[in-house]
Amino acid sequence: MHEIRIAEDLSAIVLETAKREKLSKVTKVNISFGVLVQIVPDIFIFAFSETVRNTIAQDAEVNIEIVSVKMICKKCGNDFGVEENRFVCANCRSTDLEIIHGKELFIKSIEGE
Amino acid sequence: MKNILDRNQNKAGEVRNLLVAKKVLMVNLISSPGAGKTTLLERTCEELNKKFRIGIIEGDITTDRDAQRLKKYNIPIVVINTEGGCHLDSHSISKVLDSFDLDDLDVLFVENVGNLICPSQFDLGETFKLAIVSTTEGDDKPGKYPMLFREAKAVLLNKIDLIPYTNFKRETFNSDLKNINGQVPLFEISCTRGNGLKEWIKWISKQILSTSSTEV
Ligand SMILES: Nc1nc2c(ncn2[C@@H]2O[C@H](COP(=O)(O)OP(=O)(O)OP(=O)(O)O)[C@@H](O)[C@H]2O)c(=O)[nH]1
Ligand SMILES: [Mg+2]
Ligand SMILES: [Zn+2]
Repeated sequence: MHEIRIAEDLSAIVLETAKREKLSKVTKVNISFGVLVQIVPDIFIFAFSETVRNTIAQDAEVNIEIVSVKMICKKCGNDFGVEENRFVCANCRSTDLEIIHGKELFIKSIEGE
Repeated sequence: MKNILDRNQNKAGEVRNLLVAKKVLMVNLISSPGAGKTTLLERTCEELNKKFRIGIIEGDITTDRDAQRLKKYNIPIVVINTEGGCHLDSHSISKVLDSFDLDDLDVLFVENVGNLICPSQFDLGETFKLAIVSTTEGDDKPGKYPMLFREAKAVLLNKIDLIPYTNFKRETFNSDLKNINGQVPLFEISCTRGNGLKEWIKWISKQILSTSSTEV
């Protein structure tokens, strides 16, 4: 249930930004979550709507983009996606890899008026 | 692009800097409920209490039962009640660090709340995470919770004494883990029978020593 805490932190950032930008209403929040963060979108959206209840973001639509895992092999430089949780270089079999996508917990943009 | 958990991340950075300056190793223990975190801490204190200055932070949803179990070692223990929360965060850690004399500590073990997903997302400022799984949970855990097994500095497979009574297959577990993290050291242990604890104690001692001997 880390969705709740992440939703709380998101709503704090959204409301702070809205205040700074002098918005009267937040209409859209665009975010991206990496697959590895294991967020359940429905739970997240529910938790977010609870935390922004009775604020200027209460009607905001939340758009979640799920980012799949991508890695780069530190040995041969190959970059590749992960299938069935195999964190092994498809080219040279090395396991010395860096995850470049899949751990995102990002706010892409906040829209309002 | 802004990271949603920036606030937690920044505080974790402060905690990490402080611990590096004080040469204290902080270990974040993550497992499902009942995998054996507290029992591992009991065995570890018994072995290392005389050699190192140990401190413990107990993350517990509402009680202080685990802390009570560890009292007998006469080491500083602080409980953080998460009041229903499924993980610790860097702000709660930062607050309780004041109750320790960091100049008089070599290692700080943090027992996180029993859960395999949530604690893996929240950096506490630890030196590293440790994943503990027990054989009774099944041999499919690495594949189901890849983030934890990717991020852990070591994996402990506990309750190997119970393998004969379960359908746990070592080969399945090992190959699953290799696919997720081909580099991570694995310790097969039984905290009740003592199997494998020697290797674990040797490894963790080495980690503590290398932290306390770093140049700051
Ligand atoms: N058979 C067997 N039982 C064990 C072993 N290690 C721990 N246990 C038992 O498993 C139960 C749970 O152990 P704990 O150490 O309390 O587990 P925990 O991870 O701290 O649990 P929570 O703090 O509730 O998440 C206890 O009854 C332990 O005695 C082991 O190696 N073998
Ligand atoms: Mg415990
Ligand atoms: Zn490669």
